[in-house]
Amino acid sequence: MDLKTTTSVVTLSSNSLFLDATHLSEDTLKIQKKIWALAAKCKASNAFIDVVPAMNSLCVYLHNSDELVRWQNELTNWWQDIDTMQHQGTHHKVITHYGGEHGPDLDFVAKAHNLTTHDVIQLHSNARYQVLFLGFQPGFVYLHGLTEQLHTPRRDNPRTKVPKGSVAIGANQTGIYPADSPGGWHIIGHTDFNLFDYLNNPPSVIQPGDTLSFVSVES
Amino acid sequence: MITVIKPGLLMSVQDKGRTGFRHLGVAQSGAIDSYAMVIANRLLDNADNDAVIEITLGLAQLKFECDTVIALIGTDMKAHLDDTAIYPGWTYTVKKGQTIRFAAARNGFRAYLACKGGIQCEKVMNSRSTDLAAGFGGATGCALKEHDTLAIKPFTEHWPKLGAISPAKREVIRIHPSIHEELLTQHIINEFSSKKWHVTPQSNRMGVRLNTQSQSLSHSHSLPSLAVAPGSIQLPPNGEPIVLLNDGQTTGGYPLLGTVIEADLFLFAQLKPGDSIRFEYVDIATANKAKAKLDAHLAQLSLALENAKH
Repeated sequence: MDLKTTTSVVTLSSNSLFLDATHLSEDTLKIQKKIWALAAKCKASNAFIDVVPAMNSLCVYLHNSDELVRWQNELTNWWQDIDTMQHQGTHHKVITHYGGEHGPDLDFVAKAHNLTTHDVIQLHSNARYQVLFLGFQPGFVYLHGLTEQLHTPRRDNPRTKVPKGSVAIGANQTGIYPADSPGGWHIIGHTDFNLFDYLNNPPSVIQPGDTLSFVSVES
Repeated sequence: MITVIKPGLLMSVQDKGRTGFRHLGVAQSGAIDSYAMVIANRLLDNADNDAVIEITLGLAQLKFECDTVIALIGTDMKAHLDDTAIYPGWTYTVKKGQTIRFAAARNGFRAYLACKGGIQCEKVMNSRSTDLAAGFGGATGCALKEHDTLAIKPFTEHWPKLGAISPAKREVIRIHPSIHEELLTQHIINEFSSKKWHVTPQSNRMGVRLNTQSQSLSHSHSLPSLAVAPGSIQLPPNGEPIVLLNDGQTTGGYPLLGTVIEADLFLFAQLKPGDSIRFEYVDIATANKAKAKLDAHLAQLSLALENAKH
């Protein structure tokens, strides 16, 4: 499908615009790379209070609502011209203790797929994940790249408290809990990697468009 | 200094909120009624964004450990300064040792208490607002508790008695059109804007949850996560809309029924469980005109205060 002609930038409100690039292609990662590049360009313009990428979409919040129409046109043009390879992210290695007290659900995930726990660790830590966007809570990264072999339906009974630093799998996603919170994903490991610290600038080390891999260490 | 004797249902330190970090999952936080906050600050010649105390429902009590001047804006919680009744919309001189007591709100839900010079606390990510879910900002990183103390600068000079009128309430909330009209169908959009909606007890600073007698808006759509913000009206599959407020998350996967216009968002500060509201779709020009009207209200206030000084 032609990526250039089927994307629209619509107004959400007097000072916010929404670029919807979902349904454009099966290759969501390719689209997302364009989203990151466009987000970077928007940020550099200093015209926006916030620039928020989500799944194959981008939302921008303008400082000046008088410029709504101008930016609606500008974003449409920028999207057509932007190159997927314009974005270069940082790679993060997330040291992870798998299984045991650190990953109480590792056995469950292994059994669910007729794998050994060693297989699960190998499959999970061999992948290079793309940080699609952040959301849900400060520092929570939505990752792309969990092998289908590890897709696992969420727990029937969500835990009321998942500890900060838990590495987990939920359906077709894997992620890390940046803070203690309730959660329904299967906890397979733990990391001391500090995803979010409000005293740091930026508070989140990991940014949309970065890459990440889990590195297994002996507990 | 102020000591919290009783925090009531929910009391927190808020300013206009946190911006520039939504791409990292950081919510806006901030006073739900930002106009009330600004009016309270202007009555004291504070900066518009100085931190104030947001009081929810009432049943609260604060003790002043130094002289100051306060401004109280928002719903009437039958407040008393020691034994003297005080009213929203006015400034009051407070002496060291005095206590302010709030009974319960009847016609609204939130009140804002500003002190001369603002509540003193460190800014986190450029804001003094408390992020209740993430646990940072404000004086303590969480909702105020009994025995908490808030730093303020003592103020002993004379301050004139000043009052301000708040923008009028509206029963019909004006909203921008849905970007998911095609997906949700015209039927759902029409139903949403023709029904009277009730605020449910599950509502909080994250969002106001609504229901109605007939569950006619249910659907089975799920979307790839998209950015949402205060004012976004989400429609979960159960058909009960959620109007996201200041503590709402940054992304979500529910279709949107529309977005509350900026000028009407403050009205949600005074909605309590059981209240009913209606929605009306408007165009951008109407939304901008409404915003200009509110801005004019604030500008007139500043002008009047300037004249009062001379």
